[in-house]
Amino acid sequence: MRVLKFSRKSLGIPYAVFLVLFVALPLLVLLYYAFTNGQGQFTVSNFAGFFTDPNTLGTLCYSLAVAFVTTLVCLLLAYPAAYFLATSHMKRKQVLILLFIMPMWINFSLRITALKELLTLFEGNLARYPFMNAVIGMSYDFLPFMILPIYNTLSRLDISLIEAAKDLGANDVSAFLKVTLPLSVPGIVSGVSMVFLPAMTNYVVLDMLYNSTYIMGSLIGSYFSAYNWHGGSMIALILLAIIIAFTLLTRGMEDDNQRTVGGALL
Amino acid sequence: MRTFFKEHQRSGRPGMSRQAGTAALAAALVLSGLAGVTYAGTEQTEEPSTSAPSGKKVVLRVCNWEEYIDLGEWGEDEVIDLESGDIFGENSMVQDFEDWYYETYGIEVNVEYSTFGTNEDLYNMLTLGDVYDLVCPSEYMFMKLMAEKQLVPLSDAFKDSSDPYNYYTNGVSPYIRKVFENHEINGEKWSDYAAGYMWGVTGIVYNPEALTHEEASTWKVLGDPKYDRQVTIKDNVRDSYFAAVGALKSDMLLSEEFRSQADYPVRLEEEMNDVSPETIQEVQDYLQDVKDNVYSFETDSGKADMITGKVLANYQWSGDAVYTMDQAEEDDYYLNFAIPEESTNIYFDGWVMLRSGVEGNADKQHAAEAFINFCSRPDNAVRNMYYIGYTSVIAGGDDSRIFEYADWTYGAEEDEEEVVDYPLGYFFSEDPENEDYTLTVPAEQLIRQLGAQYPSEEAISRSSIMVFFDGEKNDTINQMWINVRCFNILDVPVWIWVITVLALAALLYVYLSARHRQKLYLGSSK
Repeated sequence: MRVLKFSRKSLGIPYAVFLVLFVALPLLVLLYYAFTNGQGQFTVSNFAGFFTDPNTLGTLCYSLAVAFVTTLVCLLLAYPAAYFLATSHMKRKQVLILLFIMPMWINFSLRITALKELLTLFEGNLARYPFMNAVIGMSYDFLPFMILPIYNTLSRLDISLIEAAKDLGANDVSAFLKVTLPLSVPGIVSGVSMVFLPAMTNYVVLDMLYNSTYIMGSLIGSYFSAYNWHGGSMIALILLAIIIAFTLLTRGMEDDNQRTVGGALL
Repeated sequence: MRTFFKEHQRSGRPGMSRQAGTAALAAALVLSGLAGVTYAGTEQTEEPSTSAPSGKKVVLRVCNWEEYIDLGEWGEDEVIDLESGDIFGENSMVQDFEDWYYETYGIEVNVEYSTFGTNEDLYNMLTLGDVYDLVCPSEYMFMKLMAEKQLVPLSDAFKDSSDPYNYYTNGVSPYIRKVFENHEINGEKWSDYAAGYMWGVTGIVYNPEALTHEEASTWKVLGDPKYDRQVTIKDNVRDSYFAAVGALKSDMLLSEEFRSQADYPVRLEEEMNDVSPETIQEVQDYLQDVKDNVYSFETDSGKADMITGKVLANYQWSGDAVYTMDQAEEDDYYLNFAIPEESTNIYFDGWVMLRSGVEGNADKQHAAEAFINFCSRPDNAVRNMYYIGYTSVIAGGDDSRIFEYADWTYGAEEDEEEVVDYPLGYFFSEDPENEDYTLTVPAEQLIRQLGAQYPSEEAISRSSIMVFFDGEKNDTINQMWINVRCFNILDVPVWIWVITVLALAALLYVYLSARHRQKLYLGSSK
């Protein structure tokens, strides 16, 4: 018994080593660079600079705006699709779901390049609509990440709850608003976090669709190519802080729902 | 970066070098602590074997631009049939060098060849602990490396013109030789440390149906509202800075008064390298306008966008301009190349040896210098030029094959109607008037590939080298670039702020009231 216990524990060792080497150590390096200057002295001026410069602060806001609009667009597209998928009685439902996932199997840069040509066809000159293109590109890229979690929650929804609501006199609309929608919040939250955070940093989409304005990801890149490790690490740390704050905030929401629904997803 | 060439067509590599590079760098940064340890380890095991005197095998670590050397495997129809004999790339240049070195010096050499995407990437790789023996950065970067004392000087043996294997010393263009001898940093000449490889100028590739040559021959074209969202600019601070300075000072640079001064070349270079705080501020304002006028800030995509007709003009390095025009011609679409009248940024990519790799190892240094010489052998220079489209610094000396290649590529056919003489004496000989080096070419070539690959002496006379900016100046310029590319929060109109605040307040209200209701519900159910 004792031997078995030992060997089970030791199964975790490879991952622990991985964790230390590729997560913990790099994070320490990141912290070191973010809080030092060129001479290796401790400083918080990197951060002070970021939050007082209207340009870097503007980049933060621009990234948030791109991410926010992208998330909203994804949500508005994904919810009806997921709802339809979950409630439909089609025999070949799995095929439909596959159709939604399939774009993810195609190389990302290929998809964006194709999208570029398509947008050129519709818009004429891409460069005239940089913000819209960024949102379209990101939504195109991240949509499956929004559909799947919402679909998962909705398909596990107990139909009898909705039937009960209707028995008690609720019409379709109020049954949806008072039962289905609140119960699908965990799916929405997990979809939102999977879209919002990458949308703040994925500057490759912006680059490829000719949006010349930097977002947080491109700012890191530009600091690095100017040999400024400190500035780049500082931005990375700010992003990390945003991610942690976001996760804490949405975890609270999920927990509340777990108590009532008793099941999260993904 | 500058090197997206014929190879691109062959291998079909997707144009994402910058992103990939940055990602790799990010990964490298976080592991830099570990990298140091690893490298120290490999160094120790490798050194004894390379410096052993007998039965030795030399390992030469070369780092060059991506797609900047002949990789061989040419098609059978690609033979370059010059009068002095055929030139054909069967094997890669690197492999040919290994064979040649063994045959010539009886020493086995193993070349570890790797590539970099931008000068800054190379510098970062070196900072993070990568060790190379021979690298090929642009002039401003090898100047920076010289200033930082990171380089080993070229040996006297390398400069000895009596050695027939010194193809570089015997074949380099007199013009390039002068440039490398007349430019210095901290009192040391370029030529002490660097041997040229490729060179070129910057200019504008344009669609002649939309712009006249005159309209394209100015940096102001990039900010001209007439070409709203139909021109592209380079996505790096140095090239953009140069263009902006050219546009801002256009009137002064073009004035007769300025041009006729005795020390015009020196004054021009000073003006184009002006990094006074006022100029940096002006450049920032100008580039912010340009940002709203251009189609894109690009590194690779501009060529494709030009060929497919999405844009009317784009800022190009001459080698890439040649490629763009070649590609367009395959679709019977003809593009031209203009070198802006104000000034053009002339650049030189050169081989330099790093102290971290070569110092104290005579065998390595010998192999490194032999590698430079092998790439400078006229037939090999032709192979590289053909393969990558840039212009070699080699003129050939007594060997006529480089000039024959220029004639083979651009010379007019017998039945050509409009032909002109194109003197290249300034490049191929000491004497610009030397008529032995005058090509007879179709007139249109003056503003097409030939004009880009071998710029006229007149264009060279108004070229400037852009020096490297160190310390504080470099920081200011980089900050300027970030300011240009970032979204300024002060530009946000008031109504957007109002809407944002209202939306946030509404969200907060919904969130809080939902929680409140939930608590009531949970409370009552308990």
